[in-house]
Amino acid sequence: MHKLDRFGMDTITMAGTLDAKLAAMRNAGFDQVMLMARDLVGHPGGVAGAVQAVQASGLRPTGFQVLRDFEGLSGHLHEYKIDIAKSMLHMCQATGSKVLLVCSSTSRHATQDLDELARDLRKLAMLALPLGIRVAYEGLSWGRTVNEYTTSWDVVCRADFPNLGIGLDSFHIFAAKTSLSALGDLDPDRIFLVQLSDFMWNETPSFEERINTARTFRVFPGEGVHSEQLADMVIQLEQMGYRGDYSFEVFNDDYQQLPLDTVAQRARKSALWLIEDVLHRPVPLPAWTRQAAA
Amino acid sequence: MPHQAPAIDREAVPQMPNRLGLEGIEFIEYATTRPQALGHVLEAMGFRAVARHRSREVVLYRQGRMNLVVNAHAADARVSATVDGHPVISAVAFRVKDAQTAHQSCISLGAWDVASHAQAMELHIPAIQGPGGSRFYFVDRWREFSIYDVDFVPIPGVEQQPPALCDMGYFGIVQYIGASRTREWVAYLETLFNFITIPDDKRFGILPSGTLMSSPCGSFLWQLVEPDPRLEDDAGPECLQRVGLGLPDVPAAVAQLQARGVEFVDSATLHPEDRGALTRSVLGSVSFELVHQPRQPLYV
Repeated sequence: MHKLDRFGMDTITMAGTLDAKLAAMRNAGFDQVMLMARDLVGHPGGVAGAVQAVQASGLRPTGFQVLRDFEGLSGHLHEYKIDIAKSMLHMCQATGSKVLLVCSSTSRHATQDLDELARDLRKLAMLALPLGIRVAYEGLSWGRTVNEYTTSWDVVCRADFPNLGIGLDSFHIFAAKTSLSALGDLDPDRIFLVQLSDFMWNETPSFEERINTARTFRVFPGEGVHSEQLADMVIQLEQMGYRGDYSFEVFNDDYQQLPLDTVAQRARKSALWLIEDVLHRPVPLPAWTRQAAA
Repeated sequence: MPHQAPAIDREAVPQMPNRLGLEGIEFIEYATTRPQALGHVLEAMGFRAVARHRSREVVLYRQGRMNLVVNAHAADARVSATVDGHPVISAVAFRVKDAQTAHQSCISLGAWDVASHAQAMELHIPAIQGPGGSRFYFVDRWREFSIYDVDFVPIPGVEQQPPALCDMGYFGIVQYIGASRTREWVAYLETLFNFITIPDDKRFGILPSGTLMSSPCGSFLWQLVEPDPRLEDDAGPECLQRVGLGLPDVPAAVAQLQARGVEFVDSATLHPEDRGALTRSVLGSVSFELVHQPRQPLYV
């Protein structure tokens, strides 16, 4: 087992090229990366070049983000979003990512009927199925209809399709002040991704405040004011039997202007806090002991 | 007197929905860059080349009720080149009530469309993408006339309806899937085609592993097989792996096929029995499973 096993960074946290981001993560000891579609299309070698860079880095893709404002549309808007989803799925597959992240819709044009939202997500999961991709549905804290994980879980249950699950993001849970007690209602096998971040203030009552904070001033777990809650969340997920990945979804304007290695080391410190101080995970034995046992 | 509702749910009679009006397999297609080598294999199994496609390098083989298409058209055969040039099962065509409606229904549920490459005056057969780059075609004109009359030219002097060797017919398809993917593929086949999962204690033939499903019409079966967790390198791509042939007398068929040069897997753990037999894989990927077929329809 690798020391930082199951923890990874999102490319969105750092400035620079995809290759430089991958190298910084690797140097900090991470072995996985949450990819953003923009990283691929903006690569000088195009999508193929980006895929090659990811493969060459040796980092395993945690997942691929992000499909937005997908569910609940009708007519031409629905057809348009299906086309966008197909392109995203192709890119997701090309990188070898097994999870596509979908954020709950903010669109005023989308229906608020939960069964109709579920039907569209089921269709997306069906598109993803032959490609071997699972769809993680995340409630944005400023989503129009779905803005808490309790509601995104309700929609996932209504859709009831095996490769459709939930994506959890600690930021949105703390921003919307959703109780962690409902985590116990989730099936751990249907939690396809957990994204972790914290922030510096206690109140984000309006959607506007949540959006501004979410996009510019998130920090790594252990750096903000919700450390206790975040630790509780991770402990609860582990106790429930969640064995999937944790990725640091940290949008932060300061980190965008710091050297990549500096940011990656902050991420490493955060992962070690979770692994050693929060989860008390045993330190893996050195490689030579495993060879001797074999 | 109080009104009493009729007791319609007393025996839980299953509905057996068949949304597409599925009625069996119209044809199975192999793609290969080595059509002649595959042709020899098929002929040993009792198939006869009966017609050639008008515009592409495609040959129709037939025996009894089974149609089998060998596609060596460069653009289509390229798919088999990705698996070391070995032939692959590239498509299964389902007989349905209305092909256009079936296709549209699957697309609206999230199936991927496949662009048609029909030339002028050729049939456009709607299709969706299946596992591992394969396709599922929908054919509705199989009662009143043959679709092959439009796109294919009969090979002169060849019997167009050769009888089936040992009364063989399509029994089913074996699909290899990724690890822990059974629930997903079951959901796919249930949602799109109304396939029904068969209980684990009902099995046919000599290779019972995996999950067995039946078409809603009951005329063919579908077997999903995950990698063997005991084998570390058993993680090939997902694919339609082999065709099952149903027949009344397996030992007689084995003897007849052996006389035609077909070899069977014959080991301590897997060998021809009354229930079934497996031909030895040839051309790197092609094998057929013989299955004793107790009755029609197969399951439902």
